[in-house]
Amino acid sequence: MTTFRLNGQEVTVRAAPDTPLMWVIRDELGLTGTKFGCGIGLCGACTLHVAGRSTRSCITPVGDVAGGEVTTIEGLDPEGQHPLQLAWIAHQVPQCGYCQSGQIMKAATLLKDYPAPTDADITAVMAGNLCRCMTYLRIRAAIKTAAAAMAERAENG
Amino acid sequence: MLKRILLSTAATAAALALGFLIFAWRSAIAEVSPVAVAEFSPEEIEAGELVARAGYCATCHTVAGHAAYAGGYPMDTGFGIVHSTNITPDPDTGIGSWSLEAFRRSMHEGVARDGSHLFPAFPYDHFTLTSDADIDVLYAYLMTLDPQPEPEFANTVPFPLNIRLLQAGWKLLFFDEGRYQPDPAQSDIWNRGAYLAEGLTHCAACHTPRNILGARIASQAYDGALVEDWVAPALTRANMAPADWTEDALYTYLRDGANATHGVALGTMGPVIHEGLMALPDTDIHALAIYFADIAGTSGVTANSAAVAAALDVSAIGLVEQQNADARLYNAACSSCHSNTSGVLLTARPELALNSTLWMDDPTNFLRVVLHGVSLQAGDPGLIMPGFAGRLSDDDIVRLSNYLRETRTDRPPWADLAARIEELHGDRATGQ
Amino acid sequence: MGNPLRRSLSLTRRGFLIAAAGSGVAFGFTRAGLAQGAGPSGMFEPTIWYDIDTDGIITVNIIRAEMGQHVGTGIARIVAEELHADWDMVRIRHVDSDPKWGLMITGGSWSIWQSYAPMSRAGAAGRMALIEAGAALLGADPEDAVAEAGQVTAGGASVSYGEIVAQGDLHRSFTPEELEEMPIKPVDERRLIGQPVAALDIPEKTDGSSIYGIDAVAEGMVFARPKLPPTRMGSVVVSIDDSDAATVPGYIRSIALDDPSDTVPGWVMVIAETFTAAERATDLLRVEWTAGETANTSEQDILDRGAELIADASEGSTVVDDDGLSDAFANAANELTRTYTTASAMHFALEPVNALAFEADGMFEIHTGNQWQSLILPILAVALDRPEESIVMRTYRLGGGFGRRLNGDYAVPAALTAKAIGGPVKMVLTRVDDMRFDSFRSPTVQTVRMAFDGEGQITAMDHAAAAGWPTGVLLPSFLSEGLNGEPFDGFAISGADHWYTVGAHRVRALSNDLANKAFVPGWLRSVGPGWTNWAVESFMDEAAHAQGADPVAFRLGLLDAAGRNSGTAPDSIGGALRQAAVLERTAELGGWGREMAPDHGLGISTTFGQEREMPTWTACLAEVHVDRTTGVVRVVKLTIVSDAGTVVDPDSSTAQVEGAALWGLSLALYEGAHFVSGEIAETNLNTYTPLRMGDVPEMEIAFIDNGHVPCGLGEPGTTVIAPAIGNAIFAATGARLRHLPMRPADVLAALAARD
Ligand code: FES
Ligand code: FES
Repeated sequence: MTTFRLNGQEVTVRAAPDTPLMWVIRDELGLTGTKFGCGIGLCGACTLHVAGRSTRSCITPVGDVAGGEVTTIEGLDPEGQHPLQLAWIAHQVPQCGYCQSGQIMKAATLLKDYPAPTDADITAVMAGNLCRCMTYLRIRAAIKTAAAAMAERAENG
Repeated sequence: MLKRILLSTAATAAALALGFLIFAWRSAIAEVSPVAVAEFSPEEIEAGELVARAGYCATCHTVAGHAAYAGGYPMDTGFGIVHSTNITPDPDTGIGSWSLEAFRRSMHEGVARDGSHLFPAFPYDHFTLTSDADIDVLYAYLMTLDPQPEPEFANTVPFPLNIRLLQAGWKLLFFDEGRYQPDPAQSDIWNRGAYLAEGLTHCAACHTPRNILGARIASQAYDGALVEDWVAPALTRANMAPADWTEDALYTYLRDGANATHGVALGTMGPVIHEGLMALPDTDIHALAIYFADIAGTSGVTANSAAVAAALDVSAIGLVEQQNADARLYNAACSSCHSNTSGVLLTARPELALNSTLWMDDPTNFLRVVLHGVSLQAGDPGLIMPGFAGRLSDDDIVRLSNYLRETRTDRPPWADLAARIEELHGDRATGQ
Repeated sequence: MGNPLRRSLSLTRRGFLIAAAGSGVAFGFTRAGLAQGAGPSGMFEPTIWYDIDTDGIITVNIIRAEMGQHVGTGIARIVAEELHADWDMVRIRHVDSDPKWGLMITGGSWSIWQSYAPMSRAGAAGRMALIEAGAALLGADPEDAVAEAGQVTAGGASVSYGEIVAQGDLHRSFTPEELEEMPIKPVDERRLIGQPVAALDIPEKTDGSSIYGIDAVAEGMVFARPKLPPTRMGSVVVSIDDSDAATVPGYIRSIALDDPSDTVPGWVMVIAETFTAAERATDLLRVEWTAGETANTSEQDILDRGAELIADASEGSTVVDDDGLSDAFANAANELTRTYTTASAMHFALEPVNALAFEADGMFEIHTGNQWQSLILPILAVALDRPEESIVMRTYRLGGGFGRRLNGDYAVPAALTAKAIGGPVKMVLTRVDDMRFDSFRSPTVQTVRMAFDGEGQITAMDHAAAAGWPTGVLLPSFLSEGLNGEPFDGFAISGADHWYTVGAHRVRALSNDLANKAFVPGWLRSVGPGWTNWAVESFMDEAAHAQGADPVAFRLGLLDAAGRNSGTAPDSIGGALRQAAVLERTAELGGWGREMAPDHGLGISTTFGQEREMPTWTACLAEVHVDRTTGVVRVVKLTIVSDAGTVVDPDSSTAQVEGAALWGLSLALYEGAHFVSGEIAETNLNTYTPLRMGDVPEMEIAFIDNGHVPCGLGEPGTTVIAPAIGNAIFAATGARLRHLPMRPADVLAALAARD
């Protein structure tokens, strides 16, 4: 049994502590926005946040997040209106969409570290997120749009 | 003639044995009934808790799944497994029947209430430096804990090393009893740092190599050692980190458990900070930093800008249109959390080109982190790193290690990585 | 040459529409069936392709799989255009497999091209009926009424489509002839097509709510993972020992599958309460097999077999075979012969294949993402030994198709396991399983020859291509017949039948029998043209250089639209001249001929996309830099121009070209697997390394939109990239590469081998 907070709510799961967090969230807790791509920590499809920073849930044992705060794509913004999500829609980023939860969650960490990211920052941070549909150009553009929107919001807020 | 010689030899031996027994013999100190909580003032108890944290007593006196301070934590001494004892005031298995005198004697001399000698896994060789005042408040703190029964474990130190009396022989050879004597040539704060480091906080217990009998080698003080399959790195000039351990770096590392120019406290060091030093006032952490900056020979060094600039230069190499398979593996596995591209070092993005583990002669710490990751409870609070054991192949991890060692440091390649990785596969449980 | 699958598909569609109209379907049918009039639900279905409810919400039924191309939006736009709908009221619905939809397949970049006419007519028919009914409600003459943005207006009064459906008495039918004659709007009257649009499937792909096959659930389901045999075909289970597997908490049992369809021979399924348990137990399960006959086959064996077949002139099927070829070569003043090869290439759709299967109420349900339901249903019927009508495939979003999910083989083991244990089973393949079970792109070998006369004029071109044939293995009845009577797989040769005028032209397609035995060759994004053009366009460059000609001018000289290259209306109207136009435009846009820095080079290539019958004229100019010491190739910029006729949705068209071109780049430089001892050696991202963000060069993408029939865009972008890069490497360094992928070691070797 492991207890942690998932998208703001406390959950206790039956899965053994060495079970990958990804499967616990997808199968035991029923949130399927977090995706399984490679299972070895190299594609980023399973990216979610623990304590507000991204990690790859396919290789993160659920026991390692005991007592922590886990956020998935479903909890990034209650209305799905996070500046990144809006920018993703504006740029029509997703093709098949399968990688995009992970891309957005990773991009959220990127903007935390680099609120006005350069191309090099984006390349470096997003390098671990594979998009098999090759939507990279749009991901890059949407990240910049979201960064600008967040900067504006911060200024006016 | 021969007979005389034999007789005199025997007499000498007998005298020596008797002398040893007199040296070694400690009487039991009478049991007392547990001291009432009311006898201690809240101030004493509070001060005692800080002393307990400075010595991070709970780390070794607690085993996962059982009550804090109730003992049972297994320590591999190299001679066998020793389980720590119960230091809650439980009258049967703990120290509930210990008088203050008995407690002081254990801390200063390494002798239990019943007169038996304690294994030096209990670092009384450090605690002996601690003042009576500190020990008295520590006693107050411990005696006011909830009494807890001790979890049962059998120690595995083999005969004859398990004969407690023999521990006295060890003391004869390696132990100097006595309180800390301030160095008048140094500042008060330096002396405070030394008092903690050498005494309660017992830093050398892990960071100094030990001889075949398990005693610290005085001539190699703080030269680094392997403890529970983690490298406790050198705290002297022998430290390999590319950035200096300046007073500032030491301070942030000891205060937060992480420092941008060196890395994160992990393994056996993790609890020292999280369960220990975290509670101490800033002045004590500064004192430790000042003392160790002196030991490292970096007193007065204030900036690591050259090392940081050099690291930032290589941080993002291989990220653009790179056809090198090892670089691509790094890009996929590591870059998204570890690269630093903006000319500013971000603590939340641990920079591998500065990370101590990558520069050490021994790859153990680097490999353990890559294999087993860092849980939310260990390491930098709020940072989690998943491990790659069982996901990446051993061959992949060799490639990754070699690639980083080659591109991020100027150190020679590590030898025998594959064999070391195989040994470390089972190590997930310890200290993580 | 014609693609028989595509041809048969159009006939099916047409037949269906006729049948539907002929049996009185066209107007006023309820959802429930074929009864006349508005049914109890109050729904109005002008054809089964869409319905309108009383609130005016128009829902378009989409039979195509959604895998990133926003196909539902594109098709709904076509309907809405003719229906004069209010776009905000339009929704899409992806439907289950049901015979009423006819052939269900998504691939070949066909969706928009095939849907255009029937969906336009379905929309137009609806508009006419609504105008008539609306005019009646308004008491006006239909002649005086107009429909606009979901309203019918006459004499200053309006009524919405929703109100018409609610109040109107919609009865109308059209004969098939009426439908066929219905005019489709000319370009200048379009209001929606060609305008930017927000794809309807995108928001759900940004908040985690989009449901893919791997997300499917059924009450009481258990999980299964296969223990895969040592060879794709022919392995037989000898013994199973689950003593270690059984120690995994949650392990249930292991079953050797008995598969009458022989889709998954030698598979053992490990069943457990959770996926993690199934995964771990599978690792611990010990199975002994006798392996199939290709247990020792290697990549090189397959390539060698291809070369051997090509060398034997009596082998293969002739797809193009002009008179005079032998004479031309016999009398040639000069001859150029080159051989090109490509390595195994994997789909690596990001969602590993999976399927949920169970029986409920007499129906066997398969929940998964799939591109070609009609192909796998009959196979499932054999595997499960039950009538096809009692099996239904419920299609979810696809986490990438790229042709992998045209082959629905993964549905079979899930279904067999569900049948064996008598309850719902969700089978998920790990990435390693997915790679080992991929029906990947076969290694290929091609030899191209050209004959020149004394003046340097081309007199003949002979192209032979050997590869594993996807259609040959999966659907032999869909093979075409070559001119010599031998069958060929159109998917495995298309592209070689190019639009250049080259004198006597011969194209010979050879089925690599060793590849066909060793694995199940698959369709991979852009299929044949993804590698035939590697040969054609590298060769054209070599020929130009051999002639001392400029590679662009050389090609333009051959794209003269003479004879069979003049094109046919409506699909390839204009013929080779349209290819020449995109080539010229690309050269101009990308700055062909400009001064280059040292070790930089420009390379050009042009193709017609997928098929002669549905050409999407495409060209690419690549600028590269080559590091002569490391052999690393850096692509500086790709300039791509496409003529796909009408561009239905400009933004998603650009997205498709971006994706396709980067696929081409990935296959050119970063991807490439090895078949070793009967299996693919690269099974995950630690060794198989598709393109990532840092590998993306500068890109410029343009369209020539000329209002012609819209052609597919999902794949053509892939076909031009590798040869453009290879040609650019040659321009930069003089090193010629003839194998894909082009690795640094290959570049170094080619540099060393120069003259
Ligand atoms: S599924 Fe976790 S990184 Fe690929
Ligand atoms: S959108 Fe399909 S994998 Fe990224």
